Amino acid sequence: MTAYSYPELDETLYRQTLENGLTVLVVPKKGFTKRLAYFVTDFGSIHTDFTLEGEQYHAPAGVAHYLEHKMFDLPGRDVSAEFAALGAMANAFTSYDMTAYYFSCTEHFDECLRLLLEFVSTPYFTQQSVEKEQGIIDQEIGMNEDAPDSRVFDQLMEAMYRSHPIRVPILGTADTIRDITPEVLYTCHRAFYTPENMLLCVIGDVEPEAVAETARQVLGSEKRAPGVKLRPWQEDMTCPTPKVTSRMEVAMPTFNLAFKCEPLAGGDEAIRTEMVADLAAEALFGESSELYLKLYEQGVIDSSFGGGFETVDGCAMLLCSGDSDDPEAVRTAILAEAEKIAAQGIPESRFLRMKRSALGRRIRDLDSFDSTCFRLCAYHFSDFDYFRFPEIYRSIQPEEIRDFLDRVVREERCGLSVIYPLNQEALS
Amino acid sequence: MIETKTLLPGVTLRCCRDSRFKQGCLSFQLVRPMSKAESAQNALLPAVLLRGTRRCPDLRAITEYLDELYGAAVSPLVRRAGDYQTTGLYCGFMDDRFALPGDRVLQPMIGFLEELLLDYPEEKGGFRPDFVESEKKNLISAIESERNDKRTYAMGQLLKTMCRGDSFGLPRLGETEDVAVIDPVSLLAHYRRILRESPIEIFYAGSAPGEQVEAFLRPLLSRLERQPVSLPPQTPFTPCPGQDVTETMEVAQGKLGMGFVTPITNRTPEFAAMQVFNTLYGAGMTSKLFLNVRETLSLCYSVGSAYYGSKGIVTVAAGIDFDKERQTRQEILRQLDCCKQGQISEEEVVCAKEAIYSSLRAAHDSPGSLEGYYATAALSGVGLTLEAYMEAVEQVTLSQVVAAANTVELHSTYFLKGESQ
Repeated sequence: MTAYSYPELDETLYRQTLENGLTVLVVPKKGFTKRLAYFVTDFGSIHTDFTLEGEQYHAPAGVAHYLEHKMFDLPGRDVSAEFAALGAMANAFTSYDMTAYYFSCTEHFDECLRLLLEFVSTPYFTQQSVEKEQGIIDQEIGMNEDAPDSRVFDQLMEAMYRSHPIRVPILGTADTIRDITPEVLYTCHRAFYTPENMLLCVIGDVEPEAVAETARQVLGSEKRAPGVKLRPWQEDMTCPTPKVTSRMEVAMPTFNLAFKCEPLAGGDEAIRTEMVADLAAEALFGESSELYLKLYEQGVIDSSFGGGFETVDGCAMLLCSGDSDDPEAVRTAILAEAEKIAAQGIPESRFLRMKRSALGRRIRDLDSFDSTCFRLCAYHFSDFDYFRFPEIYRSIQPEEIRDFLDRVVREERCGLSVIYPLNQEALS
Repeated sequence: MIETKTLLPGVTLRCCRDSRFKQGCLSFQLVRPMSKAESAQNALLPAVLLRGTRRCPDLRAITEYLDELYGAAVSPLVRRAGDYQTTGLYCGFMDDRFALPGDRVLQPMIGFLEELLLDYPEEKGGFRPDFVESEKKNLISAIESERNDKRTYAMGQLLKTMCRGDSFGLPRLGETEDVAVIDPVSLLAHYRRILRESPIEIFYAGSAPGEQVEAFLRPLLSRLERQPVSLPPQTPFTPCPGQDVTETMEVAQGKLGMGFVTPITNRTPEFAAMQVFNTLYGAGMTSKLFLNVRETLSLCYSVGSAYYGSKGIVTVAAGIDFDKERQTRQEILRQLDCCKQGQISEEEVVCAKEAIYSSLRAAHDSPGSLEGYYATAALSGVGLTLEAYMEAVEQVTLSQVVAAANTVELHSTYFLKGESQ
């Protein structure tokens, strides 16, 4: 494996692409007892349209998540129990654009790694087991329907986007998951669970070469082309439905407010845009901003307020959320503040302080294995080496922040989603 | 290794020196008896302290200072540990070795903690009324927003039902009516009293040696006028008649909570067996509840049990269809019966122990998790290091697990269901 050293972060990253196309990343952490491995496919809930071996497919919404649940079945074996017997915890999650399987352990690392690679690369679905999962996923969907945080976001995405599949919840709906069959799952697995479309990322006190060797042994050397994702999404930068509201059992109105941004392509330029956008969010409505102080002191927002830049394959947005009796006032204030920053710029001293703070927080965050693993994977699929973040920060100029806000924080790009309490009159 | 030192009467510093981390943490907690009379005040205090100091008069000035300290963070800390409530501040900050040459983070961080704790602006013998009023409003929203998360809400209601005669039934953040009546003058008087009288727990994890942390804390400590009052000991569950409560709300999914009691607490020798029982019964993806209620019967997505060792309570929570209540209850009880009758394999015990070891071992791997364990363990009665805790778990036998299961009795249940049903 090739070692890349990052002395200012006190980290070393080992990387190799195996013959079968799998990329392996290892971050050795001497002296730590926990070992964490992520086996990730570049396939998430939005990738329902694709071609494979010359044929075109349209899979039901929610298929990536359903597949994630069913991967834990192996013929006659209980994967979770096998991990547990090794003292490990295994789990998985599905996001809009990736699916990750992971375990953490303190001992028996190699056995755990073999088991992870084996179960994720072994599809086994029966009619009966697929049907049985419906009851479980129905309950998961029900749980999200009662969760204001996910409802307020889901309804915003539906309002803001015309065709991008972020409009549909990651889990799909009770209707769409009924169309998921073993055959659909086998097809998606064949299309996207090929080593070339995947990444293995390990953090902990491990031997990098041994990780790569285990991956070679379990997955073999055969290289197979993954399915080709179709992205027939036509999105302009306007928001078709600027405001969407609903009611549920909440104590006070809760909102999500977002501004549509151009999707990022990948590589250095994309990461730079992301970091610029994060700094822009801080300058606009972060805790050190004039706006935050004013709205907090007026009681329009409270400490639940926060936000940042979100990016998903094919779409991006500047997003903030919180509880407020007057979400419209938050929107008005943000638009006005962005206009002010665009006109006046950001004072140099403030800009440097923000960069120092952002850098410090990212360095602190490296103590979390889970967060580091997640970031390494997400950035890898965007063709960027995450540990290079300090040099990107250093090169960012204050004008970039101003230009970003000037371009993005515009009324026509803005969507507001509010959930009002059942017993309260809507304010508009 | 944890170094424990009494710095002043009733003031304990626990230090975990560890140079593997890129950040450090420091928590400062005043330990109070949990009571309706003061829980709301204790919950409000950190938020008021974080609104401004004499030097940094508003939120923005505070954030700017923390940004200078490489994005350090100070957050309110309000916890429950059995019959106790703690109130204070938690600081997370980058390790000095990543700072620019000549810059330091730890020492100014501790200096800033002192400033937040002691250099609050005063007005007419109280805290600043505008800070107090706006934080009261925020605290009331936070209390009322607990119903937004239906699972948390349901479990809170279950504990309230079970602990009608016990401080454990009081909500951690206090109650709306008690927040509403707080005024700036009495809040400051209360704060001064608890600074003087309460046991104080300070915890540090990071690369600095204990003596250095102690030296950095000296200016803060020298300003405390201590007259410590010791706390009443932790008590086991206070018995009261059980109840079955059903509440309706406009929800898509029902939340079932079942509350059990056991005489085994953190302070009884069987506590490790009880932890093993709880793990194999309902914690994690290999537990009896997960495998049967979810995987075999497909009744739910989430199901799990929790053991409150400070009090001797076991709860089970499940998110289910409204019409599956009876079936789910029966299955949860049936699985408990299996445990009581000894239908537990050696393998299940091994798995449960491994899961506990794993989480205890991994607690060494981040400053936050070290803080989470050591800043409350001693208070709730587990006077053990992580290593000693693991040894206690290792000694547990299958028959001890079965014996622990046999002490667990159903006390109350709570069911949140939809209005249309």
